[in-house]
Amino acid sequence: MVKKILSARSPIKTLEKNLRGGFGPGHLGVFASRKGVGKTACLVQIALDRLFEEKPVIHVSYASRVDYIISWYEELFKNLASRENLKSEMEVHDRVVRNRVILNFRQEGMKTEQVLKSIDALLGPGNFAARTIIVDGFNFYLPCAEDLARFKQFATKRQLEFWFSCSLKGEDPLFDHLGLPFVLKDYLPSLDIIITLEHDNGRVRLNLVKDHDQISSKKLRLKLDPQTLLLTRI
Amino acid sequence: MNENLRRMRNIGISAHIDSGKTTLTERILYYCKKIHRIHEVKGKDGGGATMDYMELERERGITITSATTNVTWNEHSINIIDTPGHVDFTIEVERSLRVLDGAILVLCSVGGVQSQTLTVDKQLKRYNVPAIAFVNKLDRIGANPFKVKDQINDKLGRRAALLQVPIGLEDRFQGLVDLVRMKAYYFDGPNGEVVREEEIPPELEDPAWQYREELLDAVSLFSDELTEAILENRVTREMLLRAIRKGTINREFTPVLMGSAYRNKGVQLLLDAVVNYLPDPSEVENIALDLDREEKPVVLKADPTLPCVAYAFKLEEGPYGQLTYIRIYQGSLRKGEELYNTRSKQKFKVGRVVRMHADHMEDIEETGSGDIAALFGVNCASGDTICSPGLNYAMTSIYVPEPVISLAIEASNKLSADRLAKALNRFIREDPTFRVYIDPESKQTIIQGMGELHLDVYVERMKREYRVEVVTGRPQVAYREAITVRADFDYTHKKQTGGAGQFGRVIGYLEPFDGQYEFVNEVRGGHIPREFIPSCDKGFQAMLKKGQLIGSPIIGLRVVLTDGQFHPVDSSDIAFQMAAQGAFKQAYRKARPQILEPIMKVVVETPSEFSGNVFGSLNQRRGIIVSSIEDGSYSRIEAEVPLSEMFGYSTVLRSMTQGQAEFTMEFLKYSRLPAALAEQLMEEHRQKLEAGDKK
Repeated sequence: MVKKILSARSPIKTLEKNLRGGFGPGHLGVFASRKGVGKTACLVQIALDRLFEEKPVIHVSYASRVDYIISWYEELFKNLASRENLKSEMEVHDRVVRNRVILNFRQEGMKTEQVLKSIDALLGPGNFAARTIIVDGFNFYLPCAEDLARFKQFATKRQLEFWFSCSLKGEDPLFDHLGLPFVLKDYLPSLDIIITLEHDNGRVRLNLVKDHDQISSKKLRLKLDPQTLLLTRI
Repeated sequence: MNENLRRMRNIGISAHIDSGKTTLTERILYYCKKIHRIHEVKGKDGGGATMDYMELERERGITITSATTNVTWNEHSINIIDTPGHVDFTIEVERSLRVLDGAILVLCSVGGVQSQTLTVDKQLKRYNVPAIAFVNKLDRIGANPFKVKDQINDKLGRRAALLQVPIGLEDRFQGLVDLVRMKAYYFDGPNGEVVREEEIPPELEDPAWQYREELLDAVSLFSDELTEAILENRVTREMLLRAIRKGTINREFTPVLMGSAYRNKGVQLLLDAVVNYLPDPSEVENIALDLDREEKPVVLKADPTLPCVAYAFKLEEGPYGQLTYIRIYQGSLRKGEELYNTRSKQKFKVGRVVRMHADHMEDIEETGSGDIAALFGVNCASGDTICSPGLNYAMTSIYVPEPVISLAIEASNKLSADRLAKALNRFIREDPTFRVYIDPESKQTIIQGMGELHLDVYVERMKREYRVEVVTGRPQVAYREAITVRADFDYTHKKQTGGAGQFGRVIGYLEPFDGQYEFVNEVRGGHIPREFIPSCDKGFQAMLKKGQLIGSPIIGLRVVLTDGQFHPVDSSDIAFQMAAQGAFKQAYRKARPQILEPIMKVVVETPSEFSGNVFGSLNQRRGIIVSSIEDGSYSRIEAEVPLSEMFGYSTVLRSMTQGQAEFTMEFLKYSRLPAALAEQLMEEHRQKLEAGDKK
């Protein structure tokens, strides 16, 4: 019950309301920005939003150490709990932990096929009923159209939603005139939602640049609080 | 400095199970001319490896108890303490680590850093033991020492660099290129005893120089001399040796050596590295606590002329009585000398002093600082400190974890019963994590330990060493009870049965607490006289031993005493103890107690193809899967699972993964038992009590 209330107030719900047709099974979404702007914070908050509703989440990471990922969850959970004045914090925390599995792929060049196989093993024989998959650290700078198509196909078949982070690098400009990151332009058929993060007057704002079949730069009424890294409404 | 001391090393060999540690030890003994024939582990040739000396260990192909042995290499005296690899025997490892000055961390070149390597590595770090890594089994299919070196950096968080590169791998593994000497080495003769030095094969010249660069890069941090020499291109072997040694002893660098103990390749170079890079006893600071000066820390000096301070780290019952393994930290120890056990406060005379070689021993007259030896006929427990009379030191106590599992045992006949008592008495002296008590209700003998395998091994030892036939019950989990909310009490204990009466009234509350137990006295105005406050505390503490839900000990409780009442004649120590006990009974149920169960941190290493099944098996056991790290074809799955669900898991895991997966577990925390299971346990407890009443 506590979680329902918390979840209803969640800025993630605001985000989803802003999406035409919402977000759900079979969809792939991406948060894109340069390093250190707040992509992981956004991903973890999506995960926490689902976890508060007791929906299991798989967090796939390509680079970070497990303890590093856990500390992201701990930090954001603590900040959320204190912002929402959460009662029975320990109990909620326990359930969050219970419904989250971190899959870490250490080897460079880990094949998507292997990643999907592991997720499948966890969902099938592992009996872990996740519907949301967070993918942090996927390298969009390697040719990956085929990989993303596989993710998309898997998402549709298994009725999963996938949220990725895309770390932008190189010299400016990184975006085209519509605000789309150049690196993602080849993958538009597989990606349903693209949100970019940008510094704007000392805060980080979220722009919706691809919303299903529509490409348009729409400033979302959401920002990342620089202290707590929590998404808040503007 | 004392030349003998400079030429002494106390080392351990720490490893993941099956990474070839026993074979390596065997080869070391052979090359140091301590044995004249090589046996293989698991007794293929009927001999069994020399260090793996207990029959039981031979049968299982694993090392359980740590035997120590002394060898000589290049005019250096090396004491090797063979440490067990399985986490269930952690106390053995920890006690050994306490007396080591350095360690060889053995890794398998195929499996690399595995779950147990992490545990062992953590232990080495906890006791600040400098280590060199040895990547073994280069002859195996899939051997990749370069990957293992990266894992030592990434997974163990060490700064490691290769000191050697292999000449060929798998079935083409021939020898090693030494990056310090920049020479190639081959191991000739039927048992690899002849080390042949050659020029580096031309095809390995480039990679060798490249890895040497990496090595120089890593160790130049520890030597300005070397940094300058690198810039001026005049690096000498001695400079490099000194920098590696400094980095290793400071525990900022881990040299990585390699070879195949089984194929007799690389072991002699490893021994050179032990001598070159691991510290002598004078280079390690050891601290004792002065019991006469409020346990003030005292730095011990490895000086043979000072009074003796030694630490008993292991006991063993041999055919000639109790053998006590000791490490001498300060002074020296002579046959016939009088010494003092600071725990038992007893003086004793040193009878025989021996130096151990696995199953054989050598009598010696005297032994000095830094050395490891064994004494005969000394009555002490492991962990005791032994000093020259006049000193009253204790070596810092080693960390002893609480046991998490218990098992009822019973001797099957009268003859066995006597021997059983003897065996148990011996085991509790040897191993502080092994405990024994008699259950006052069932009158059963209960043994407690760190895991199923831990207790299994002791039951086996009872059979083999003491010929005791025992019947065991089902393993029982050590549950706890804890309250969840504050509850007030106001209880008066009054008794008038002729003669002096009893009167005491206590008012206050119970509340949940982060630690084990706390008693707070807030009584003002002398409503309870000061002398009776400890009586109240004692009364409450008496109630902690058995909770009302299932009779398990209570943890996490604070008692706050706010007020009370006394009678000038009838109040007494016992009256207030009774009042406290009554108050506890009154408030406990109101404080909504719950049952807590031990949760284990379980780490499963499995080929990735079986990870789905492993996930499923952990889920089925009420486990929380924390993470899964995939690295090539292997997955390392970490989970939190209730201990009660883990019985027999090794068998399940083996059959599920065709014997290719393994797991370790250690106690993590206590957590609330789900309501349905709690209900079941309470029902069982009620029935047990009723049955007891009827009797």
